[in-house]
Amino acid sequence: MGIAETYSRGRRFAVDRPGAILLVLVAVLLFGDLLVGLATGRTAFSEVGSLLWDGLMRGLVIGLAGIGLSMTYSILNFANFAHGDYITAGAFSGWATTYLFAGLGRADIGSLLLVGAGGSVFGGALGIGITGTPFAVIAGLVVAGVFAIALSLAVDRVIFRPIRDQDGITLLITSIGVAFALRYMMQFVFGSDVRGTTAQPPSLSLYFVDGAIRINMHDLTLVVVAGGLMLGVHLLLQRTKLGKAMRAMADNEDLARVTGIPTERVVRSVWIIGGGLTGVAGYMFVLWKGTLGFNDGWLLLLLIFAAVILGGIGSIYGAIAGGLVIGLTASLSVLWIPSAFARAAAFVVMILILLVKPSGLFSGRATA
Amino acid sequence: MSSDATDANDVTAATDSTPDVAGDELLRVRNLDAGYGDLQILTDVDMDVHDGEYVTIVGPNGAGKSTLMKSVFGLTAHMGGTVTFEGEDITGLRPEEIIHEGIGYVPQNDNVFATLTVQENLEMGAYILDDVPQDALDMVFDRFPILRERRDQKAGTMSGGQQQMLAMGRALMLDPSLLLLDEPSAGLAPDLVEEMFDKIDEINDAGTAILMVEQNAKEALRRCDRGYVLANGENRYVDSGDKLLNDEQVRRDFLGG
Repeated sequence: MGIAETYSRGRRFAVDRPGAILLVLVAVLLFGDLLVGLATGRTAFSEVGSLLWDGLMRGLVIGLAGIGLSMTYSILNFANFAHGDYITAGAFSGWATTYLFAGLGRADIGSLLLVGAGGSVFGGALGIGITGTPFAVIAGLVVAGVFAIALSLAVDRVIFRPIRDQDGITLLITSIGVAFALRYMMQFVFGSDVRGTTAQPPSLSLYFVDGAIRINMHDLTLVVVAGGLMLGVHLLLQRTKLGKAMRAMADNEDLARVTGIPTERVVRSVWIIGGGLTGVAGYMFVLWKGTLGFNDGWLLLLLIFAAVILGGIGSIYGAIAGGLVIGLTASLSVLWIPSAFARAAAFVVMILILLVKPSGLFSGRATA
Repeated sequence: MSSDATDANDVTAATDSTPDVAGDELLRVRNLDAGYGDLQILTDVDMDVHDGEYVTIVGPNGAGKSTLMKSVFGLTAHMGGTVTFEGEDITGLRPEEIIHEGIGYVPQNDNVFATLTVQENLEMGAYILDDVPQDALDMVFDRFPILRERRDQKAGTMSGGQQQMLAMGRALMLDPSLLLLDEPSAGLAPDLVEEMFDKIDEINDAGTAILMVEQNAKEALRRCDRGYVLANGENRYVDSGDKLLNDEQVRRDFLGG
């Protein structure tokens, strides 16, 4: 009886959800391959550990950058394609500040403000890093946040607010236009070369079974900043009056209005908080990877969208969880496939998860 | 519909007849024209609510009952006439301004924040105040004990009747002098309908004036002080609830015999 029942239930599941079965099979295969690799010494434990750490770092960057996107989506009801270029804009403004503070007196101010455009100054030569120039880095972090806030408020004021009552497609296409305008404005000002921004940060090696996992100071900075901000957003949404109003508005905007919640002010707060997080994410992204180019945010945006959709679009917690899944997938995929396909692997995982859970990991929870 | 209208027009002139009036005038609607976008729904509607009074608006589907209520709360396009509250002209004000005047509004559908807890829903009701008023919260919890029991539950997981009570509780957080209720019994199980009307009686007895739109016209008229019958976006009848209930014409045309 019990066995028959289990069998028939299993059969029904297999018939209903062939995709899920296939997914589990593939996962088991990949995991088995990994175990064999580890057992035979083909793959080092420390290599897997390093990839895990790297994936976690990517995940934090993507998750942090995704919060702002998810917020604007859930509360303003549109997918802001300009988000990636807010990231880049935050990064450039922050790094111009960092260069200025770190290199004042050692290079001319123009080259510093242009973040060494055309190879005029090198971040490595200025010894930039959280340990070498902590003040310059913190100042840059703050400026990146503030500049992204100012930018998103200004763009909202001039471009999005007049068409807020239009449908989502109009807003979306407009935001793509904003994205292109911002991106090529930055290319015009800062040039199109990708520059190195940091000196080699000091790192510590953690011994792990058969080798070492290297963790550098910028990784740790990222963990502290991203973790702190994520916790802060959580407390804001759950504990404060403004946060509750944001969730209320994401839940039911018409009701929020008849309840007396000043919706326009909440919208402004969303741009401020989302913009600040986005700018900081851009700065941290560049601090962590050590290079900066005008395309950075745009390229990251695809992964951010993947993370946000995977997590359940509109959910802050979904954005964080989705970011970690995407980051870890992109990093760990190199165990099985060439690293050039890492991004593709992240999207494949997104598609697979959505096939099984179409509304995302944290669907139906709105912002909360 | 049009034959109804001609029948009814020569029966009672609705304007300005305010029988059995309790307190001072609270809400005064005069010659109101309103609608949505370019579509006009209300034509030349008059209505009064006095301090502590219980007024219902009944009428056939599409008569403009909800539209009239929404117009009072600034949710429609204003096309003419005036709305006065406590002697102050509130015509054309936005909902977030009107809520400051002491009017609370409970919409018919989607009237709770489903993903927020019961307590958070109530807190949102008092958003315009600097702090959550503890006495108002206690008052709502005393009025609806089920809400105290479920204060940490997500509103979306509660039953329809409980959600309706939460919606009312939220509107009561600012202790309004006038509460607008749009079809409070809609979608409730029959035994809950009775309970809901009892709660509304209690709220009214505590001194809050009620302006209510109801499908359940007979029960609403039985309970209220005064009723307005609306048809085709115009006033048809106004009288005490009992008199409307017993009026031959009203019974035949609007209450189904």
